[in-house]
Amino acid sequence: MCEHMIKFRGHHGVVVVALAFDLTEMLESWSHLRAAMLKSVPDAFSRDEWAYLVAFLDPANLRKPFQQSFGEQEETADCPALLAAPRGPIGLWLPNNVSLLGPLMLILVSLTGSKLRMKAGSRSLDLAGEFLEYARAHAPRGALRDYLSACAVHEVFGHEDPRTAEMAKQSSVRIVFGSDEAAAAIHYLPHPIDSVAITFSDRRSEAWIELERCNEAVLRDLIKVFAIYGQAGCTSPSRVILLDADQTTAMRIRDQIVELWPSVIRRRPAMNVVSDNVRAWQLARAAGWNSVLVSENKAVVSIGGYDLQTFPSLMEMRIIPTHKAEARAHLPENSQTIGHALSNSADPAWLRLFSGSNIARFVPLNTMHHLETVWDGQDFWAQLFRVVRVQA
Amino acid sequence: MSSLLQLSPYAERRDKIFVKELQELTAHHLAGCREYARIWPNWRPSDNVASFPFLHVGTFKSIQFKTDAAGVKHQRVLKSSATSSGISSQILLDQRSVELQAQSSSAIIASFLGAERRPLVVLDSAGALRAGTEVSARIAAALTLKPLASDILFLLKDSADAKSGKWDQLLRLVEKNDSLLVYGFTYMLWTTWMRSDMPPEVSRALRGKRIQFVHSGGWKKLENERVRREEFDKSLTAGLDPDSRVIDFYGLVEQVGVVYPLCGAGYRHIPVWADAIVRDPWTLEVLESSDGQLQLINLLAWGAPYHNVLTEDVGRIIPGDCACGRKGKRFEFVGRIPKAEVRGCANV
Repeated sequence: MCEHMIKFRGHHGVVVVALAFDLTEMLESWSHLRAAMLKSVPDAFSRDEWAYLVAFLDPANLRKPFQQSFGEQEETADCPALLAAPRGPIGLWLPNNVSLLGPLMLILVSLTGSKLRMKAGSRSLDLAGEFLEYARAHAPRGALRDYLSACAVHEVFGHEDPRTAEMAKQSSVRIVFGSDEAAAAIHYLPHPIDSVAITFSDRRSEAWIELERCNEAVLRDLIKVFAIYGQAGCTSPSRVILLDADQTTAMRIRDQIVELWPSVIRRRPAMNVVSDNVRAWQLARAAGWNSVLVSENKAVVSIGGYDLQTFPSLMEMRIIPTHKAEARAHLPENSQTIGHALSNSADPAWLRLFSGSNIARFVPLNTMHHLETVWDGQDFWAQLFRVVRVQA
Repeated sequence: MSSLLQLSPYAERRDKIFVKELQELTAHHLAGCREYARIWPNWRPSDNVASFPFLHVGTFKSIQFKTDAAGVKHQRVLKSSATSSGISSQILLDQRSVELQAQSSSAIIASFLGAERRPLVVLDSAGALRAGTEVSARIAAALTLKPLASDILFLLKDSADAKSGKWDQLLRLVEKNDSLLVYGFTYMLWTTWMRSDMPPEVSRALRGKRIQFVHSGGWKKLENERVRREEFDKSLTAGLDPDSRVIDFYGLVEQVGVVYPLCGAGYRHIPVWADAIVRDPWTLEVLESSDGQLQLINLLAWGAPYHNVLTEDVGRIIPGDCACGRKGKRFEFVGRIPKAEVRGCANV
């Protein structure tokens, strides 16, 4: 039963969103929890991950899903054009190596009030479960704690477990993070005919930087954005495209990145990471990349072209000097984000260039990892609601 | 051909000769292997072993290195056992190196087990030998002992099933011989010999026999089962002749031909035709006596540049003379580099 009817004015006109909880109270509860989070970082989270969660819980950020999907909140007597109500139970499948996406989805789904059943990978520590426990323990009494206790469930089991099929059968929305194969297998399971499938599968992102924007601040942003997940993040720049740079200039910029790196990323990586970087450096050189190791073997920075073979590695930043048309032609089929540092990113020529490509986001370099409700080519948060056309 | 192979493996070191031969070997690989030369384009000969071009052990999982040169006849591919990554290292063997490697391993093993020939029982299946042009690490390690074997019995019908022992054949072998050599991967030795359904008549026949158990492959699985080395050794030799022994040897497929048995004092000795250094993983600087990343070097590999390998193992060089009486350099194997989970959202 949705007791709270909140009005928004957007491009459809007035939209009434029916929620089972008091939105203001829910947002205040998250704010309260956020304040508690500032005191210490739980062991399961890195400092960067915890800081990102804290930033994500900014009240203004939590209002954005409503604003982007339904418009600005407004007290009005005008007749609504649409009634939006949560679709119902949501199943969330998380893969083994997933980082913050679990906790972030928990936060976003809590804003709908829908029941959430999270299935985490069975081979690794899962941050969604850790965050749920933390939030249950630290949330103030009220809407948020009630939701976390009664509506959010976190379970760990394998693909073959009968609970996988049970989740698919009972979910009005199936949100799946994972490989194409894993997502296909889940969506193939029997599910309600009117249920919605939201898939976030394997994607690759790039940073596009124009030579004239290659200043120290941009290079620092690039290092920060890359170093969080290296090649393991779908929003991390798997390639850095240096637009209109030649090899000599690219080498100079590479050396600048290598020099800046230790002052941007101060922590010492684990022994297995630095060892793997030596491996990655050698494989890159063997394949023809001009690669160097960052001080303390913190990372590898390589320069080369599209024709060169690459090998799996975590912390190898691959830079390709090229021009716009070639970069566009080599965008991977599974493109996710282009993080840009361009002299005029508002130039309509960029949109023309990307029309017909598979890119899902074209955003400033330093916001590449920022999860928004428009993601992977869809306004996925709006799809958590069923919309009724209303005409007086 | 290394002149050092003519010496006893644990004689006084001849480091000048070692460096000279390592220079020749390195130049050979730089001239004949394009990938190796690309990695180390600016290397110049030096007297410092630590300055010689090495390959990280993980590179062999991605590239099958090959050195082309006059007289090098490539043969089979040696594959490591599946690791947690599920990807095997691939080492391209050649005729000349295989001969040197056999000579090396015979001399090393003889130093620990004596030169007496006796039946060798391998805890694997004969089918593993018939894998075309590829040789598994398990089989390669077992065949290291071949020069000491008067006869070989592959004990298992199925290499994946510890309970598939050909016990009747083992019984016949035990009844005819007072001394046996038994080789298996550490975990296989434990599950096949100690945990399987060995018939009572075989157990009875083994009593009082002199058996030298040789195992390699590491303790990870046994640690998970909380089996300690003392318990492992004691259980295997219970009821046998007092001269029976359990020898743990450390080796990599990427260093085939040089194995590092654990000596009575608990150390790994480096033969004169090999060397080991320990590096700080963050700076790659050489560490004289503290824990670091182990790098193993030998003079045996001519068909591909697996002569100088930075491992993913942690070790420590031990100064001074060893109580076991062997001369030369030695190290302590500390363990594998600890793995940490990689988090992200993409499939890496």
